[in-house]
Amino acid sequence: MTNKILIPLVAASAVFLTGCGTNAHYVSTGGTQNLVNVGQINIQDYIQAANSATSELLASGVLDRVKTPPAILAMSRIVNNTGQQIDTDLLTKKIRVALLQSGKAVTTTTFGLGGQAEDPLAKGMQQEQQFMNDQKATRTADFSLSGKIIQTTARSGDTTQSTYSFQLSLTDTQGLAVWEGEKEITKQGTQSSIGF
Amino acid sequence: MKKKIAALFAVALAATGCHDTMNSVENAQKEGQRNMVSDQRVVSDTSLNRRVGVVGVNTAMTPGGFLKVQVELLNRTHTLQNFNYHFEWFDQNGMQVNNSSTAVIADVIDARESKNITAVAPTSTCRDFRLKLILGSNY
Repeated sequence: MTNKILIPLVAASAVFLTGCGTNAHYVSTGGTQNLVNVGQINIQDYIQAANSATSELLASGVLDRVKTPPAILAMSRIVNNTGQQIDTDLLTKKIRVALLQSGKAVTTTTFGLGGQAEDPLAKGMQQEQQFMNDQKATRTADFSLSGKIIQTTARSGDTTQSTYSFQLSLTDTQGLAVWEGEKEITKQGTQSSIGF
Repeated sequence: MKKKIAALFAVALAATGCHDTMNSVENAQKEGQRNMVSDQRVVSDTSLNRRVGVVGVNTAMTPGGFLKVQVELLNRTHTLQNFNYHFEWFDQNGMQVNNSSTAVIADVIDARESKNITAVAPTSTCRDFRLKLILGSNY
């Protein structure tokens, strides 16, 4: 009789002590253990979109057409047309890093939208250098990268489907979009579910 | 009675399309020549290999001098399969090239479908590659 009471008590204590939730642990970023949400862009979606854009851009050979390689890239606006607040650097930084590592393009940080420099100190250094060396102007950007992220949602019963379209355009100094890429990622699930 | 139930079940399955496969047509006289490469395979997940198998691998160089790889997969089953894949790249010294952004890409392949997955090397110094295939969750 005593055992009948003691055993469940010990078991309950063990469960209480070890906790019901999953212990905090590291997972590989972009790996199969990453959580998947239908209603938001996950990190693996950004990585996949950036990988796709970089591969297509490098394969196109458009960056090799500049007179003095590597091509200089200026970052333009990435419009967020999704229902969530996102930092577009999660997409663009990955593209910039991959292009820099490929040796085909470098990104200017002293020239940006509305004359705003991404790195004001670097711009100051550049101007100072120009003044000291009596240079007239530095090389300008060969291309600008702009884009849009669009979310399309569909529902049927308990099932929700979200498609995220990552659209990118590379425009040359003549105003022509010399490369355009689009990657669509579609996720489906019930409203309360998360997947792996 | 049991036979009737089994027959009804089979009809229901056929009607709901659980065995949807795929028909395809292509030109018999191919213009493009694929540069097929001999591959070396390590199969640790026989279940995945039975479901989604590698048919062949061909490579090409992009105009910018990057290695481009295409792997043809075949779904050997009569049901849709979820799988994940990931490319790794190696330079002329066999050292792995660290790609700034590597993701395991989730993909699906229809019943009996043949599908190509492609990837472009992150740098022009990449000479070799490895494709990792991981079984996905079938929902």
